[in-house]
Amino acid sequence: MRSFFSLLACLFVAAVSALSTSGNRLLVVLDDVAEKVNYSKFLADLESRGFQLSFETPKSESLALFRLGERAYDHIAFFPSKSKGLGPNLTPNILVDFLNANGNILVTLSSGVATPTSLVSLLNELDIQLPVDRTGLVVDHFSYDASSAAETHDVILLPPPGPVRPDVKDFFSAGAAASEILAFPRGVGAALGASELLTPVLRAPSTAYSYNPKEQAEVVDDLFAAGSQLSLVSTSQARNSARFTLVGSAEMLQDKWFDAEVTTADGQTAKTFNREFAKRVSGWTFNEIGVLRVNWIEHHLDEAGAANESSPSIYRIKNDVKYTISLSEYSWTHWTPFTTPAADTLQLEFSMLSPFHRLALNPDPAQSTGDAAAYTAAFKLPDQHGIFNFKVNYRRPLLSNVEEKTTVSVRHMAHDEWPRSFVISGAWPWIGGVGVTVAGWLGFVALWMYSAPVKGRAAAGKKTQ
Amino acid sequence: MRLTQSFGSALLLVAAGVAQATSAWGFADGSLAVVAKKAAGTVKEKLNQKTPLSTPVSLGSTDTLKLILTATDNGDGKRPHQAFLVLQEQDSGLEAPFPLTVKESGKAAVQISHKDIPVQLLAATKPLKASVVLASFGSSQGLNTPVFDVKIETDASAPAPAYEKPLRYGKKPEIHHIFRPDPTSPPKVISLVFALAVAAMLPALLIGWVVLGANLNHLSKAIGAAPLSHACFFGSIVGMEIVFFMYYISWNLFQALPVIGVVGLVAVFSGTKALGEVQSRRLAGER
Repeated sequence: MRSFFSLLACLFVAAVSALSTSGNRLLVVLDDVAEKVNYSKFLADLESRGFQLSFETPKSESLALFRLGERAYDHIAFFPSKSKGLGPNLTPNILVDFLNANGNILVTLSSGVATPTSLVSLLNELDIQLPVDRTGLVVDHFSYDASSAAETHDVILLPPPGPVRPDVKDFFSAGAAASEILAFPRGVGAALGASELLTPVLRAPSTAYSYNPKEQAEVVDDLFAAGSQLSLVSTSQARNSARFTLVGSAEMLQDKWFDAEVTTADGQTAKTFNREFAKRVSGWTFNEIGVLRVNWIEHHLDEAGAANESSPSIYRIKNDVKYTISLSEYSWTHWTPFTTPAADTLQLEFSMLSPFHRLALNPDPAQSTGDAAAYTAAFKLPDQHGIFNFKVNYRRPLLSNVEEKTTVSVRHMAHDEWPRSFVISGAWPWIGGVGVTVAGWLGFVALWMYSAPVKGRAAAGKKTQ
Repeated sequence: MRLTQSFGSALLLVAAGVAQATSAWGFADGSLAVVAKKAAGTVKEKLNQKTPLSTPVSLGSTDTLKLILTATDNGDGKRPHQAFLVLQEQDSGLEAPFPLTVKESGKAAVQISHKDIPVQLLAATKPLKASVVLASFGSSQGLNTPVFDVKIETDASAPAPAYEKPLRYGKKPEIHHIFRPDPTSPPKVISLVFALAVAAMLPALLIGWVVLGANLNHLSKAIGAAPLSHACFFGSIVGMEIVFFMYYISWNLFQALPVIGVVGLVAVFSGTKALGEVQSRRLAGER
């Protein structure tokens, strides 16, 4: 009975401490550990989702991201720091190494403090530009919180951001009530480069702009960026699926903006969406959502009467084959079947150097289960022999990369797999010729051995010789 | 709060006819000039913040667009913090802001030529929408209003502005392999005619032989002299053809070779005797 209860307790604990797919050791870098009271709700939310938080200051001597060549933490969250750099333990090189080792980084900025050079260099590495002098403030004179920033207009109000493109999954605003509004107080906007790894999550409204409050308080002579060119929350996913998020305003994660009431410019009051947004942004960064897993891959000959061997290593040209891949997506606590957004498709390439086929993989409900969705494609192999790959290269913004390559040989036709010559109508005269020759030869042999000479004629024949 | 707001808006409505709204940004003395390098083609237009220009202004590759206005807060000239001219591409909604240089008095100006405009907007097919944004800190209502449209005229002799779309992850166009065409045969009728023509050669040959006096008169003599040898020899020749036929139909080489060996041996041994018998007939002068 007791063991039953302990088992139940274990199950319960497992259910409560839902974990990220890539570990739960989270390093929180704060200028002063006492500052964490400002973010207590955000950090408590993280803890309740199973993360083990370690707090460090950049100056701490014991701080090391790697121990014995392995990552000492799975994720890092940076809160604004007044120091100019971040010390020898958090150089841009080490942070890039951390990303290369599949660690995830969440960086928050604040217009009140200049961004540390170490983070500016890291952002440059990722093709994210910050305003010059590491200081900027985003204001919008058309959409601000009239109750807390009526004069300064630096608390921007925005609707929760929809997907960046119609074929991208909506992670950050799904399920938000229409009345809910995001508050972005006193933040820094960034300009994103053309890299395909970058995805803006929250863009500034079209009338917002960034200026330097120290130098451009009177007039904006040199504009850094304005409107939707200004990204307030940006993400970058490396080729190894390591995730990086830049939140322009650390203040939007503070307790006072969680479930706060704001007043829009036209006098409506609304609740902030910040708490849920902070959960989703941190959840995305720390691999709790948008993580894809390939469960299995199977391909087989799809021809009537053929041996139904699973995933053979060799096929013949022009064989009909069927390819199936099973994918799951992690959603906070558990794996769910992965469904592509409506405007998007999963594609299969059959390639030797370059793709010969690129086909849509369609959902196959028969092979899908409660936590995995199967996608399948049936097609005829090309009439070219060689070493080919079944390749699923699914790279989409905000979803972890899927790159699966299955190599098979494709042989040419064996001599006995061609149609017989008597089936080919063009060969009939030739086959007839062979038959006539055979019959003629047998007749000739019989005549040569058994024919008696014709009298008279034979004598005449002899004379001529 | 809401009450004062509604009160304010009511006031606004009342005031609207008389003067501009209380505490709102606007502009006066707005003018737009497109100056061509060759002084001939200068176009000047007066701008009004309420009604945008009805016809698009065209901007050639060597022209400069000059916008001059006086920003006003509640009717008085004043310097706003945000004074932008925003060009917007109508299809994609892409925007390019151009900050105006503003003096203390509110006098603001901006000059735009082709080299200032991002290539994505230069390549636009529809006229660009230009709006003026004037706003600043404090309670004054900002102004964001379309004022005119710009048609970008590219120089026909110069290369068109090239814009390469950056790589974005998404689905790619489908590829379907194009198979080589299957081998074809001529119409069956033609094959049949020629097959029959070939087959007709056999009776033609046999008839030809018969006409020339071919016969099998020595068959009984030969069988009588060496029955086994003749039967085996002729049988082995027929058998060899049957082996070849079987090889064509179904046998593989390793099935055919041993049988060929057996039939060949029979042909060699029976052949010596049978052909010896034929020779004896020749020597006897019967052939």
